[in-house]
Amino acid sequence: MKYAAKKIVTMVITLILVTFFVFLAFNFISGDAAVSMLGTNASPERLAALRHELGLDEPVLLRYVKWFAGFLRGDFGISYSYRIGVAGMIGEKIPVTLTMALYAFVIMIVISIPLGIFAAMHQEGWIDRGVSVINQVIMAIPPFFSGILITLLFGRIFRLFTPGGYVSYRTDFAGFLGYMFFPALAIALPKAAMAVRLLRGTLIREYNMDYVRTAFSRGNSTKDVLYHHMLKNALLPAVTFFGMALADMIAGSIIVEQVFSIPGLGRILLTSISNRDYPVVMAVIVIISLLVLISNTLVDIIYSLIDPRINLNE
Amino acid sequence: MKKKLISLFLMTSVLAIALCGCAGDKKGDDSSITIGIPQDLEDGLDPHKVEAAGTKEVLFNIFEGLVKPTSDGDFIPAVASAYEISEDGRTYTFTVRDNVKFHDGSKLKTSDVKYSIDRCAGLDGGTPLVAAFSNIEETVADGQTFTVKLKEPDTEFIAYMTAAIIPEANKTPDTNPIGTGPYKFVSRSPQENFIIKKFDDYYNKDLAAHIENVTFKVIGNPDTLAMEMNSGAIDLFARIPTAQAELLDDRFEIMEETMNLVQALYINNAVEPFDDVRVRQALCYAIDPKEIMLFVSDGKGTEIGSSMFPAFSKYYMPELNDTYNQDLDKAKALLEEAGYPDGFTFDITVASNYTQHVDTAQVLKQEFEKIGVTANIKLVEWDSWLSDVYNGRNYTTTVVGVDASSLTASALLERFTSASSKNFINYSNPDYDAAFANAKKATDDDEKTGYYKECLKILSEDAANVYIQDLPEFVALNKKYTGYEFYPLYVQDISKIRLAE
Repeated sequence: MKYAAKKIVTMVITLILVTFFVFLAFNFISGDAAVSMLGTNASPERLAALRHELGLDEPVLLRYVKWFAGFLRGDFGISYSYRIGVAGMIGEKIPVTLTMALYAFVIMIVISIPLGIFAAMHQEGWIDRGVSVINQVIMAIPPFFSGILITLLFGRIFRLFTPGGYVSYRTDFAGFLGYMFFPALAIALPKAAMAVRLLRGTLIREYNMDYVRTAFSRGNSTKDVLYHHMLKNALLPAVTFFGMALADMIAGSIIVEQVFSIPGLGRILLTSISNRDYPVVMAVIVIISLLVLISNTLVDIIYSLIDPRINLNE
Repeated sequence: MKKKLISLFLMTSVLAIALCGCAGDKKGDDSSITIGIPQDLEDGLDPHKVEAAGTKEVLFNIFEGLVKPTSDGDFIPAVASAYEISEDGRTYTFTVRDNVKFHDGSKLKTSDVKYSIDRCAGLDGGTPLVAAFSNIEETVADGQTFTVKLKEPDTEFIAYMTAAIIPEANKTPDTNPIGTGPYKFVSRSPQENFIIKKFDDYYNKDLAAHIENVTFKVIGNPDTLAMEMNSGAIDLFARIPTAQAELLDDRFEIMEETMNLVQALYINNAVEPFDDVRVRQALCYAIDPKEIMLFVSDGKGTEIGSSMFPAFSKYYMPELNDTYNQDLDKAKALLEEAGYPDGFTFDITVASNYTQHVDTAQVLKQEFEKIGVTANIKLVEWDSWLSDVYNGRNYTTTVVGVDASSLTASALLERFTSASSKNFINYSNPDYDAAFANAKKATDDDEKTGYYKECLKILSEDAANVYIQDLPEFVALNKKYTGYEFYPLYVQDISKIRLAE
């Protein structure tokens, strides 16, 4: 209980700080939603009228307090650009970004765990060496660049997918998953490379531990030792990493969405920033922060499940 | 171990490839078309309030005014079956059709017309949408007749009667657009698409739409546009960048037109040293529009010498292109005369999202160096440009394209009168103000045109701005379709597009 209370308090404080700074930032950058909407047909009278209509003529602090009060009631406000409720507008996009991040997460696990174990077990073999060279290269590539490379390789050369040919999850779910594979791969690859390296390293370290020697001396096969003794210990640091990676993937999907032109939270966030549509920006930032905070909390919980010595209440 | 690993890999990749097969290519539903748009409709859907050109060009298919523009710059009756302008240019009388239906099935009434025009004019308590509407004294709806009375004579006023007629009963025009146009709104998904459908009860069978379902798809990443088009996912894209157009295969037809805007180095006439006409003229003598076009768009584009583009053939004066021809010695002499023998340094502020303008600024910088003037290019985001440069007038020079919001010369020229709130270059010349006022007042068409031409001449001789070109525009259309028409306005008329035989 103590743990949960502590977590929730940190979460709330983080959210208040994040949203307040975002709100302030909007007052420091030039232009506002009214200027953005009226464009080159703005006249002082029309600007004033629109600002009044949108409530932009009120002081910053008052607007923040109003926004926060609304947020507490679960009301994210109305988008300036679309004139529709922000909650509904974003609700429609969350599945897109979340699917991509989870998809990437699964790909990362599927690639990294077997490959990490294999590399550790065949230390200094040619596959291990090959893997570590490729790993080094992939680790150094940021997701947006791996996205460009994947577009080039699978989209243009092998023609496995149509770059930009996104289909909505509501019209064609299978098509949606098919299209999302490559963006997810782009996000997953660099993380998978890091995970393989981490897993290989910890497994090798465990291999030299006394308990492993004891396990072997008791006549266990390599497989037994690996799966029943070593893996549990080796996975602990990996789980921490996976948790951080998931948070990173959610945030990183913003950029990858641009490369693959996917209309998810990231695209909404970027266009809303340039339109100064701050109810939407605030909501997207709250959602992304929440997702990141939740994934961090999940890691803590899984941690204590794997290793009962770790007590979350301390 | 090894086997398991390999089979795992195989499984994931097979799964991925299998799923990919479903994506992409939409199979030939004959009466549908997908049109790529570079940005979403981001300022609501209320036809009277939207300002973004990208929004207006899409909504053009949903809404109609009493009259509507044609592709050759004329006006044809739309919701009104006929109209009459009084001798003195102050009374406009429209006969409203009695067989027009709104998209929600309700019948259009003359009171809806009055409601719409009053709303535009701010007679309902709001602010007039454009300055021209503040000229309306009163509107009268009587049976099928609708009359607009103006305070001052204005023979160009018909251009503003393209304002959308909307039903008074619709309380949410922001999100639920109901009009009388050939297409009706179906649905939208932010940053994804905007879907419209042919309106079967359209009153004019001759102008009814051909294609049944139209999807406007927002293109998030312009660099993959050609790939997407080649895959068949997009059939039409207007204003396609040259680099992408070159990648299209031969299933596409590329049509060329001009963008109908005045691209220039706009100069803040109120700041030193540009308050001196000789300095501005020196800049005009320093540049060669041909060189700019060569760099920006492979030599395509049309040179202009004043604030008017060629599509307005009635007013466009090609002879003004030669007011200044590149002459570096003359430019240097003018600078010396103005007291800047060693040149000076200034900023060119450019909105970074407009590649053509940024490229143009690069060439200008090179050209100005030859007369000893140093230009620093300052890239800003579009919204900062709007608030600092355009509304705040806090800049020295900027490269941008200015378009006409309606099919009138005053749409381009009014902004340079001293008192105009849109005069972002702070230009002020009593002769110009007088000529413009005369043009506005004149009811005789030749006289009016004469005064407008005088305005253009003054702008050119005063070197109010360094005029460059009307940019080229390329439209890519899948050859499955035909009938695309260019308008002298920012408009995508989908109702004209039909399947090719």
